[in-house]
Amino acid sequence: MRATDVRLRLPQRFNLVSAILWGLRIVVVVLVLAGAWATLSSGKLSPDTWRDLVVFGIAQGSVYALIALGYTLVYGVLFMINFAHGDVFMTGAMTAFFVARNFDESGFLNANPIVALLILFAVSMLTSMVVAIALERIAYRPLRRAPRLVPLITAIGASLFISNSVRGIYGEQDQAYPTINALQGRFDIFGIPILKTQAVVIVAAVVFMVGLVYFVERTRTGRAMRAVSEDKDVAALMGINVDRIIVTTFAIGGALAGAAGILYALVFNEVDWFMGFLPGIKAFTAAVLGGIGNIAGAMLGGLTLGVLESVGPFLLLGGAGVPSPNQLRDVIAFTVLVLVLIFRPNGILGQSEPGS
Amino acid sequence: MQDLLNAPRLRRLAAFGAVGGVAALYLAMVGLVEAFKDRNVITGVVTLGAVMLLAVPLIAGYRAAIVPRDVTEGWTRSGLQRAVNGFVAGLIAGGMLGLLVFVGRAVDLRGVLISISPDLLDFLSFGLPRAGAAVAIAVVGGAVGTLGALLLISPPRIRAVITTGLLAVILISLSEPFIRPRLEQLDYTAISDFLYQAHGLTVPAAIAAFVAGIVGSALWAPARARVRQTVEAAPPERRRSIRNWTIVAALIGVLILPQVSGTFFAQVLVLIGLYLLLALGLNIVVGYAGLLDLGYVAFFAVGAYLTALLTSPDSSLGIGLPFFVALPIVMLGAGATGLLIGAPVLRLRGDYLAIVTLGFGEIARILFESEALRPWLGGVQGILGIPNPFPARIDLDIGVAHLVASGPQVLYYPILAFCMLAAFAANRLANSRVGRAWNAMREDESVAEATGVSTVNYKLLAFSLGATTGCLSGALFAVQLQSVFPGSFDVLVSITVLAVIILGGMGSIPGVVVGAIVLIGLPQLLREFAEYRLLVYGGVLVAMMLLRPEGLIPNRSRQRELHDAMDDEEEAEPPQPELAAQRGSA
Amino acid sequence: MIEEIDQPAAPKPGPEPDPVDQPAVLLKVERLTKRFEGLTANRDIDFEIPRYAIVSIIGPNGAGKTTFFNQLTGLTRPTSGTIEFDGTSVVGMAPHEVAELGIARTYQNIRLFSDMTVLANVMVGRHVRMKVQWYEAILGLPKVAREEEEVRVRSLELLALVGLRRRYEDELAKNLPYGDQRRLELARALASDPKLLLLDEPTAGMNPGETRQMTDLIARLRKELRLTILLIEHDMKVVMGVSERITVLDYGERIAEGSPEEIRTNPRVIEAYLGKQATA
Repeated sequence: MRATDVRLRLPQRFNLVSAILWGLRIVVVVLVLAGAWATLSSGKLSPDTWRDLVVFGIAQGSVYALIALGYTLVYGVLFMINFAHGDVFMTGAMTAFFVARNFDESGFLNANPIVALLILFAVSMLTSMVVAIALERIAYRPLRRAPRLVPLITAIGASLFISNSVRGIYGEQDQAYPTINALQGRFDIFGIPILKTQAVVIVAAVVFMVGLVYFVERTRTGRAMRAVSEDKDVAALMGINVDRIIVTTFAIGGALAGAAGILYALVFNEVDWFMGFLPGIKAFTAAVLGGIGNIAGAMLGGLTLGVLESVGPFLLLGGAGVPSPNQLRDVIAFTVLVLVLIFRPNGILGQSEPGS
Repeated sequence: MQDLLNAPRLRRLAAFGAVGGVAALYLAMVGLVEAFKDRNVITGVVTLGAVMLLAVPLIAGYRAAIVPRDVTEGWTRSGLQRAVNGFVAGLIAGGMLGLLVFVGRAVDLRGVLISISPDLLDFLSFGLPRAGAAVAIAVVGGAVGTLGALLLISPPRIRAVITTGLLAVILISLSEPFIRPRLEQLDYTAISDFLYQAHGLTVPAAIAAFVAGIVGSALWAPARARVRQTVEAAPPERRRSIRNWTIVAALIGVLILPQVSGTFFAQVLVLIGLYLLLALGLNIVVGYAGLLDLGYVAFFAVGAYLTALLTSPDSSLGIGLPFFVALPIVMLGAGATGLLIGAPVLRLRGDYLAIVTLGFGEIARILFESEALRPWLGGVQGILGIPNPFPARIDLDIGVAHLVASGPQVLYYPILAFCMLAAFAANRLANSRVGRAWNAMREDESVAEATGVSTVNYKLLAFSLGATTGCLSGALFAVQLQSVFPGSFDVLVSITVLAVIILGGMGSIPGVVVGAIVLIGLPQLLREFAEYRLLVYGGVLVAMMLLRPEGLIPNRSRQRELHDAMDDEEEAEPPQPELAAQRGSA
Repeated sequence: MIEEIDQPAAPKPGPEPDPVDQPAVLLKVERLTKRFEGLTANRDIDFEIPRYAIVSIIGPNGAGKTTFFNQLTGLTRPTSGTIEFDGTSVVGMAPHEVAELGIARTYQNIRLFSDMTVLANVMVGRHVRMKVQWYEAILGLPKVAREEEEVRVRSLELLALVGLRRRYEDELAKNLPYGDQRRLELARALASDPKLLLLDEPTAGMNPGETRQMTDLIARLRKELRLTILLIEHDMKVVMGVSERITVLDYGERIAEGSPEEIRTNPRVIEAYLGKQATA
């Protein structure tokens, strides 16, 4: 019988959860500031090194951005996370490797680098596209109306299946992409040295992204895609073949991932059956960072994450005397992922999500 | 003849054949056939690789012989036509594989497709040259396809009986790594020699197994019906006493299992037990509370590392506590970790929650492995020197029985005890207001909250309980290996545990047990499998979600939840009789 | 479809008889405002409910009635304003705390736990009054079984009270016919021994016979369980028949408040809403 219960209330609701969340915020901020200050004040790294790191970050970020576009497109129409997208990226890169090796052995690669590269792009994009479409057809379409966890679990299973199948088919070992002589060396752009490969990567990524934006904004199919992502049922009523649009979305996402595969090979050189996991998660981080469902967001997120990951270990840890900062590169990416999802799931540019 | 060559029918058959062909090609290219082509099922007759390949046209032929519900033009129910259907489908499947062999002999594919080795090609070719081999494979495919069709056509009883016979042969053959050494240990060499030769069944043994399977299957149904009748006719006290005695018998069986089956099997049991404990914990988080935690391995790692730090004199803490003193501290640490990981993710939606927990798990793994933390956590080399608190050997006389246990057989018992404890606690919780609250939360979170369920508290509770169980398993793991290495704690462990739960049944304790036995135990049986474990886990996850998301032994309410949402999407497949009956009675 | 309902069980003793010093006003809302991006759903609403009254809130679709409810139960956080329930401010409280204080509700589009049984649904409703802790449940202490049995019995009584046939209790909630689902929601809400019951369009989708049964049930519950009831309704017969006071919302603002007679003849209300139904 508590007629006039006086409830003891603190001005701000204090509970365990808030305490932990605030603790998390404080720890992160302190670590970042302390590490950055330590590094910058020790002056261990020269401005040139920073510059190179940033350039590398942009190149790496371009790869992430292209993969992130695949996540964001699929999320836009199906509101599901295509966990297997990283492995779609991997199949393209791995398959194109054999073509590349063949070209290298026959000398075609260095004789006609541009044509060879275009063919490699085509092979990789085609393979990834096929895998993405198969994925949609076999694993996702039957589950469209299932509770949300079900397609996610399926995606995880598909990811395992695809990566290990490739392991069985193509073999376990890392494969090194052959070097293209024409792409050795640097350009000097406004006094900033950029590796030729990096330049190609950045330019190619920009071209693809512009192409995608044009496609989505200006073509009929692109409009249909936007309609489906707004409201599937209404779009169907308007006469849009929703199934076909969804397949198209997967196909485009897959193609972009395949392109990213070649770019990855240009930047990092090595490909193997497990290479889809980390870039996949990082690209997803990029997509969420920029705002999932938002194409510009995916690009922005990709570049941001790429630079953060490149500069971060040295900025935050190197100066403070932490050994082997590069090992912790991935921690930075995962930390960004975790922090974004916990504190700002809408990302930088906001989110296209139906009201809860 | 006109009948037999009808176009739509051919298209459909071609589809089945093509799918079969792709499956056969896949099996060959991914290396499964290669891996198993030397594992004898019936020595001198057939190997496991061959069995796998033959299963493809068999299934293709079986499916091809099914006449579609709305019988269209050209389809009849005639046995001959259906047999021909099977033949065609099998032929196409075999033909595709034959094509691969043909090409593989002409061109060295190994640069790209590493599994297509000359050995494999020889194996597939029946010793014939290129063209002949391709044709032979196609024809064999067709023949097996016909067998599949015949299997479909035959009356259900016969079908069941034959299938059981075949399965019996395969099962007994594959159990060779357990049975043969055990028989030899017990000096039953005569039996062992009769049964097995070169790791496969001998022909007479195979025949015996087949017959046993047939007989068993034929007798099973009536026997089961009779037992059920007797039990139902008995008065309640009698029934309860029957139940109790069954439980006691099962308990005794479980307790003496490692005795009966030998040390190798006991090792497998220990591994199953560790994973089972993990799965019971994750089952609370995923199955009861509906939170998909992909970073569950973090708890496993924390438990193992805490145990190592506290009990090993070589660790950075170096305090060398006895295990059972350290254990409560580890469990407290577990609870705290559960809160720390659970608190930030409370408001997150299902898939985001999964990814964030994945992130946490990976961060944990990288930190454990890192150079930076090596002074405390041992880096890549981990922590060694963890003492094992359990006796190395037990020699007991219990009444008329004599209990001997050594090595893994000893560890089996504490693991078993903890598993039973965890299962017991989980079951109690599920049937209490806590379980109801979790169910409500899973169904409609905001309404549950408005009805008075503090979702924050109950999610945290689930996380903490899951964490404690996971840490417990980690502690036992550390003690078993007497060391911890960061490499053991990657995301694949989380996914494996998830697969166990999905296969067995989310939220179902018996299901989880079955899942652990199948997914952890079977790969031990088929050693060649180890390479392909993850491939199979991935396939299992996808297949289960597509076919039977509630798991093998479902928790009843989850089954309803999952099927109702998905039933609307069913294509025009003929509804299976069980489903229709279920819907009718609902 | 008019169904026979069970004779309700003899009225169980409800909340204890009130002491002298309980405030006469159970719920007091002042200047309650809720703004979503670009849309003001509730604007400066003042509102009071006396204890044991039956009050209705009416208004055209989109007037902000359900948003109002959501703020009362803590599902939505007000942009500004105060809500005082039985002397305690509930703004900023989590929904389950509000439930604990004694506010329960039903929903416009029935939100049962569809894959749980009827009995389980009601027992979840009782959750907030149960005392057994999780570790006690694991240990299987005798009080656990005792409490479960108590709650089970009480839940069955509630089911009988709202007129749900006894043999329903193991049926899945989603298999119930529409009218019975509404009753079940009611039983679930009552299971927490609330002081204030919020009913969001309880007669939506019902034919006149069912509507009459529901209205009678509401009146009877108020009397037997000593509840205060706040209703959102569109059916004017129900509103005029059962309410003691009516508040009218339009475009998020309160445009009128008074007795049924006063509201029926209020020109602003008529203009906004009642129109030709004024002579109901």
